Amino acid sequence: MTTAQPLHAVAWLVWAVAAAASLELAPSPLYVALVVAVAVVVVSVHGRDTAVARTSFSVLLVFGVLFAGVRILLTSLTTHAGDHVLFTLPHVDLPRLLGGFRMGGTVELPVLLQASAEAFVVVGVMAVFGAFNAVVSHHELVQSAPRAFYEVGLVVTVAVAFVPSTLATVHRVGEADLARTGGRVVRRGRLLRRALPVLESGLERSLALAESMDSRGFGHAGTSTTDRVSGSLLLMALVGLAGAFVALVGRAGGLAVAMGLAGSASLAAAVTVASRRAERVRYRPRRMKREDFVVSGVCLLAPCGLALLALGRDASLVWSASPLRLPALNLLAVLALAFLVAPALCRARQQSPSLSGPADAATALVA
Amino acid sequence: MNAIVYRGVGFAYPDSDPVLAQVQLDVRAGEILLVAGPSGSGKSTLLRCANGLVPHASGGRFTGDVVAFGRSTRTHPPRRLADVVGFVHQHPESQFVVDQVEADIAFVLENLGMAPMAMRRRVEEVLDALGIAHLRDRSPASLSGGEQQRCAIAGALAAAPSAIILDEPTSQLDPQGAEDVLAAVGRLNSDLGTTVLVAEHRLERAAPLAHRALLLGETATAATGARAVPSPGPVGDVLAAYAGAPAVTRLGRLLGWEPPPLTVRHARDLARAMTLELPLPERSPFRAPGETLISAKGIDAGRGGRAVLRGIDLEVGRGEVVALLGRNGSGKTTLLRALAGLDPPSRGELLRPGSIAYVPQDPDSLLLGPTVRADVETTCRLLGLRDPGRVERWLEALDLLDLAGRHPRDLSAGERQRLAIAAIAVGQPDVLLLDEPTRGMDAQSRVALESLLRERISTSHAAAVLATHDVELAARCATRVVVLGDGETVADGPARSVLSGSLFAPQVLRVLPPFLTVEEVGAALGPSHVVPT
Repeated sequence: MTTAQPLHAVAWLVWAVAAAASLELAPSPLYVALVVAVAVVVVSVHGRDTAVARTSFSVLLVFGVLFAGVRILLTSLTTHAGDHVLFTLPHVDLPRLLGGFRMGGTVELPVLLQASAEAFVVVGVMAVFGAFNAVVSHHELVQSAPRAFYEVGLVVTVAVAFVPSTLATVHRVGEADLARTGGRVVRRGRLLRRALPVLESGLERSLALAESMDSRGFGHAGTSTTDRVSGSLLLMALVGLAGAFVALVGRAGGLAVAMGLAGSASLAAAVTVASRRAERVRYRPRRMKREDFVVSGVCLLAPCGLALLALGRDASLVWSASPLRLPALNLLAVLALAFLVAPALCRARQQSPSLSGPADAATALVA
Repeated sequence: MNAIVYRGVGFAYPDSDPVLAQVQLDVRAGEILLVAGPSGSGKSTLLRCANGLVPHASGGRFTGDVVAFGRSTRTHPPRRLADVVGFVHQHPESQFVVDQVEADIAFVLENLGMAPMAMRRRVEEVLDALGIAHLRDRSPASLSGGEQQRCAIAGALAAAPSAIILDEPTSQLDPQGAEDVLAAVGRLNSDLGTTVLVAEHRLERAAPLAHRALLLGETATAATGARAVPSPGPVGDVLAAYAGAPAVTRLGRLLGWEPPPLTVRHARDLARAMTLELPLPERSPFRAPGETLISAKGIDAGRGGRAVLRGIDLEVGRGEVVALLGRNGSGKTTLLRALAGLDPPSRGELLRPGSIAYVPQDPDSLLLGPTVRADVETTCRLLGLRDPGRVERWLEALDLLDLAGRHPRDLSAGERQRLAIAAIAVGQPDVLLLDEPTRGMDAQSRVALESLLRERISTSHAAAVLATHDVELAARCATRVVVLGDGETVADGPARSVLSGSLFAPQVLRVLPPFLTVEEVGAALGPSHVVPT
């Protein structure tokens, strides 16, 4: 097994964006199920052999399902509409200060179904994101990003790599905790007993990694003025965009637009300033090949096709639980979604037979 | 010509005794200098001074000056020395930045801003120098420890440094992995002339490679608070007095061979040259096993539905110390986990009338802190044991009393391993299962473990099963040796008969059969000879 990928990281990014956009354009459960199926196919064909890749799809899918479950529960407890009452729970009316709505009480079928359909979209997005992490080389992605994002990207890559090893540590610590009592389960203080070794091992690992990076010349060139300028511009961009998001949530449209514009402007400035600096040397940078462009283009056909259907007021794209009916299926939409399978049709890159293989075996025998 | 020069180097963490004081050391260009010594003697600190990790990454009080190839570490942090000094540390898995071997090796070159063509060539050369070209597309996490460590060395070596620092590079590896790594290091030194400064516990393989050795002292002398660092000398002479020296070296010292041999071949030549009339060792110093504590009949076991073990029979009685030997993947750990009840057998019959406790391979997962004593007390509290003397007894049995107030994460790998054993064994189970107990252990820790196994277990009528690669450990304290191969039992019997004539044989048995250990030879020579420890 190798970590080699048939497609460029940017092509995978395009695929993920196209799939996510398709979910937004066609949130009907049938189409979401199709996109999830596509994600499963893509992972099974092109999943990389790294710890991150092996865990990310399942872990993110589990997260998506958990989040969906919480969302369904909260919605059906707080929203009350229609007369298809499934069952009635004891209820409390919250005071006006907390919104004044009713928790519990009647649970209606349409509300439950509508919430489930919306939550399923979240599962779909998580499946796409999980599949993206399972197939893409994060390193390649960082290498393709503009110079301004290199350090940030590297930090994210390293952090992502910590997830599977931390999961393995959690498992080991749990077993060790059982071993301590000879298999007897002692619940008191168990969380602390299991959390401490995980945290401390993680800390030790990060220190070792920091030393290893330092010993291998990371930050060798030191920081220049351009670095500092682009760094502060990047920070301003982050603040601006985050502010715009908060303003959006708070329904302050004008402010959101202003902050968003300011954020985008300083982001563009940061990228320009950082790129003016001498380019960071890259080892064997991977260029987009024709195949990558073709696959990216085909993937983009999916959201474009769905957008055309949406303009043509296709009723099957969005499903609503009231009035209660089965979700409809439009073959044209299915055809559009089928474009997302394009990456799975690429052959895995054949590894050239290693010339040094037999020689290595020979030296091993001699040794 | 000197590669790295230490002048009056001292180092201390705040509020504690100095780790190093007044070190004068010249590392000659092109040599392999081996640094040996017990845990806590300052080996790591000495090595980390060479590329400026001490003091730049460690903090603490640093005095004196270290000059590596004309650059003082006072003014040059590690990242500015990356092109002349490479550094590789003990834990292979925690030093990779990129999840692909080839890209990770190129990391240092990208940082140094090398031209793309030169970079490409350098990476290819390093891949060949360490024999890892076939791993270039793999993810480091999917490799074995030995492969990971060779990749890490490649990552340090890509910048073509004139010197490379290896801090216990093989202590976490199995013998095959260790041999591969050390062979690669020897090749680098002889082919490229790379200066190597290496700290090691496992001296059997490292000692023959080294040109000179340096033995760091025991813990700091009370009077001055500092310890003298002796000057390096010929490997055999320096190591002969050290408890962690290879068994043949200690045998040579016992029999008065000059210079003490470092390899089995040399020792065998010396043994042939002298006539030695020795009474044969006692048949077996151990009693017959008592009541059965574990009885496995034809068990199959494995993890995740894959059967690793097939039809294993094993009986363990009171007073037995059983050593499980076998290469990686032969099923040693799986058998221990099956006996512990972690992976229940899928077929066959497993009876466990006695209480059983399992010490996992990774001691870190047991360390809670804040002190060594608290860690052992936690087990007692969880088990509802209220005997105050018990904690002290087990701390003493594993030679941990001096460390009782320290934070577990401050300990060395060997000390952590001892603590993990104490934290499990304090429950006093009938059977203690140990998975690779000597991994990362220094000589002192090994002695403590061996005396625990020999005395406590065989006299207190408990039993132990150890999965190990350490043949010397098996020779010194196992009453029975079981060899596993491909999930089946290949051999089962008393240590002497199983080990003799096998490739697994301990060093002394290969030189002076049928003796297994230096102590046995010493006993046969009579009381006039004192066994060096």
